Amino acid sequence: MPRRSSFRPNSSRRLFLQGSAAAIAGVALSNCRGGVSDVQSGSQAADSSSPTSSGSGTLNIYTWADYTDDELIQQFTDATGIEVSVDVYDSNETMLAKLQAGGGDTYSVIYPSDYMVTQMVELGLLTKLDQSQLSGLETMQEKWKNPVYDENNTHSVPFVWGTTGLIYNSAALSEAPEDWDYLWNNKDKLSRRITLLEDVRETLGAVLKSLGYSYNSTDPAELEAAYQKLLELKPALASFKSFGWQDELLGGDVLVSMVYSVEGVPVSQEDTDFKYVIPSSGSSVWTDTMVIPAAAPNAEAAYQWINFNLQPEVAASMAERLYLASPNEAVLDLLPEAILSDPSLFPSEELLARCEGIAPLGEVSALYDEYWTKVTSA
Amino acid sequence: MSIQTLQKKVSWQGLFALLVYGFMYLPILVLGVYSFNKSRYGAIWEGFSLRWYRRLFQDERLFAALGDSLKIALVAVSVSAVLGTLMAIGLSKYRFRGRSLYLGISYLPLIVPDIAIAVSTLVFLASVAIPLSIWTAIAAHMVFCLAYIAVVVSSRLSGLDPNLEEAALDLGATPTQALVKILLPQLMPAIISGCLLAFVLSLDDLLISSFTTGGGANPLPIEIFSRIRTGVKPDMNALSVLLILSSGLLAAIAEYLRCKGSNQAIKG
Amino acid sequence: MSRSAVTDSRPQSQQVKGSGSLLRWRLTRLIGPSVLLGPAGLWLLLLLVVPVLLILRISLVPGLRPEQAITNYGLDNYLQILQPTYLRVLLRSVTFASGTTALCLVVGFPVAYWLALIAPKRWRNLLLVVFILPLWTSSLLRTYAWITLLRTSGVINLVLSSLGLPEQNLMNTTGAVLVGMTYSFLPYMVLILYASLEKLDLRLLEAAADLGASPNVAFWKVTVPQTLPGIAAGGLLVFVTSLGDFVVPTLLGGPSSMTISRLIYNQFLGVSRNWGFGSALSIVLISAVSIAIALLLKYGDRNPDGFS
Repeated sequence: MPRRSSFRPNSSRRLFLQGSAAAIAGVALSNCRGGVSDVQSGSQAADSSSPTSSGSGTLNIYTWADYTDDELIQQFTDATGIEVSVDVYDSNETMLAKLQAGGGDTYSVIYPSDYMVTQMVELGLLTKLDQSQLSGLETMQEKWKNPVYDENNTHSVPFVWGTTGLIYNSAALSEAPEDWDYLWNNKDKLSRRITLLEDVRETLGAVLKSLGYSYNSTDPAELEAAYQKLLELKPALASFKSFGWQDELLGGDVLVSMVYSVEGVPVSQEDTDFKYVIPSSGSSVWTDTMVIPAAAPNAEAAYQWINFNLQPEVAASMAERLYLASPNEAVLDLLPEAILSDPSLFPSEELLARCEGIAPLGEVSALYDEYWTKVTSA
Repeated sequence: MSIQTLQKKVSWQGLFALLVYGFMYLPILVLGVYSFNKSRYGAIWEGFSLRWYRRLFQDERLFAALGDSLKIALVAVSVSAVLGTLMAIGLSKYRFRGRSLYLGISYLPLIVPDIAIAVSTLVFLASVAIPLSIWTAIAAHMVFCLAYIAVVVSSRLSGLDPNLEEAALDLGATPTQALVKILLPQLMPAIISGCLLAFVLSLDDLLISSFTTGGGANPLPIEIFSRIRTGVKPDMNALSVLLILSSGLLAAIAEYLRCKGSNQAIKG
Repeated sequence: MSRSAVTDSRPQSQQVKGSGSLLRWRLTRLIGPSVLLGPAGLWLLLLLVVPVLLILRISLVPGLRPEQAITNYGLDNYLQILQPTYLRVLLRSVTFASGTTALCLVVGFPVAYWLALIAPKRWRNLLLVVFILPLWTSSLLRTYAWITLLRTSGVINLVLSSLGLPEQNLMNTTGAVLVGMTYSFLPYMVLILYASLEKLDLRLLEAAADLGASPNVAFWKVTVPQTLPGIAAGGLLVFVTSLGDFVVPTLLGGPSSMTISRLIYNQFLGVSRNWGFGSALSIVLISAVSIAIALLLKYGDRNPDGFS
């Protein structure tokens, strides 16, 4: 028998089709109930098993990079005897996608941002919090008692708030940036020396704001204008980066970066050459929260974790270590004046009034994504 | 030695190869040097320091991630070693209807880009509502591990002398005996190198792990990727140096085993 | 290898012993293949074939998001790929991949040639191992190393400026992606070319020389045709791997380096969560790669390394 390659397209294609028809029939049956990603059924499975696991075992937390540290976890374990394991994500969308894909079933506490809380509530991904099990919410500042993204905090507990702004190397720049337009006005000088957030909502939002529109515009014409304006800036960009710009900025590769305040302020505190500024025409102001997913195992421990984080002493010590701006009045009372008077952490009410929260967009988000892909593909 | 013979000995390919070896090792050398740099940022040398190594060894998270990666790789590779070897033997032994389809499918993990495998596995797991965990990652890794092992074993199989096994069968050995006593020892070097290949690929995999891992498991590539993205930290230099050294050791062992194995195969 | 002659010869000798043995023989004949091929086949079916068919199905649902139920089918996702924006992404991916393949061939062939034919014999194995040793380390860390080299405040610019030359923007460029990819995939190319060159029948070269062919002619008329299967296999492997690469364009590519794999990634773990479009892109990627391989198998080497 001669040995030759056994790829015979015609016969194998027919076989392939026959086989695939059978396989499709089998699989199709399994997912014709709900959405393609049947998170609900996953959550039922987890719910039924949760009584056995509650109160003991490891507490799995899914959060942003800078919201916990070893000290906090050690304190919590010492106080409750519960071991904590932390996973981090770098964007709300990553977290949501992971959760929807069934990768979030072991997480008991998650830290979504404001608009994401709304979206997750709509998707039925969050537990309605049992207020009787929470303590320390009374001292929340007025603004966060009944936030727009989650009425009466029924599903979420405000954890930290902050802004989006620019951080720049003041030693290398003769003129300090004050507003978004600075980037466009100096794009030749700053060629390949700028990074913007790799975050479609923040970056397109900022460009919209620089045009005088809303951060959350849903008007296609305004979005088109923002897209065109962003394209103008693109040759001057080193990259889109939400995290990891620190090294480039401090190393001198980059002179201005658009950053989240939680990331930017610590850098400006460590080295006074680098200054964080909230653009004067306004920016985004966001709140990151603590929530318990609908599928969460070990809900008891989740409440313990949230309550622990709500303790003013714990939160104040975190605020000093990680430069987190707490929405909790009782925490602010414990903070030294030096932190409270820092305008990059606690900007003036007047400036805040010009900032907007990032709102859920529904169908328009596809348009944002399309422009984003165009920008990154151009 | 005269200049002429020296010139004869040093071909332009040799010089070029030397250059390319330099290209391959330059980045690693740079990482090595900078892992001892005191400075955190930039390329400027600010003095010798071991602080990054100290920090690395205190990094429990990194070691936990390494542990997860090793667990995934070890389990996936050991199961795949059995399945992949059986598959390769089966494919070389039998002609049957649908063999070319089977063959084509077994090639797929080698040629389909990771991102597509990752995405389809994710969609599959989501649609049958299997929550992601370290075990889903192992299951996904097994797909490409067994395919790679099977290819390596197959290429060895095609070079084997079929007479040995036939002789064993003719002398009254059962097919299982013939497999275990005759075929497997001959295939062992290939199985080992296939396993090593699969092991390395599994340890290095970012995309498939990203889409299929959950439940608190956090393989090393995901951890490294997120660290590079969340700030290039010099302790990554230190980590690279340690990884290079340990993989050098591993490669040396592997090569030693391979030589020993093929010598034995010849002797046996 | 062909064992069929042997297996086929068994029944006649056993048939003589009676129908019971025949039945047993038939069963054994089934047990063998199912033990050998069953487990792996099942695994591939469950975790490869079914998933790919699933995304094929999902790719036909316009703009499907993970929380949505499948209601209607259509080709919208595929039509969306034909928009200039996304065609540009495809084109860029192909450009990166073909550039990388060409570079790997040009750089890899002389190295493999030297390793297989010129280098001292007893060092060959060691030299090869040393060459592919970097493969044993995390590809992420190797790519990260290039950041250290290429960045504006990086080693290369440090050297340039100490020589009095102007700084260059090396990071976040197409060049950076090509260098990074070539660096990542060169060992594969060299490995495959080495295997191919090692098998080269040196007598053919001697014969060519005896017949008066210059080394140059002999190289193009003998060495290259003889190693063509290796070149094709290596080229295809590098092309396919770099076409689907995610790490290098993400870490070295900067703002204009959206590739098909990054685009797919963004559909599943990004802002749009458009599983339908992401699945369609994946199907296109899988098809492109499979067609390339099928063409290689059909018109390329009739007897490739590996199965059959």
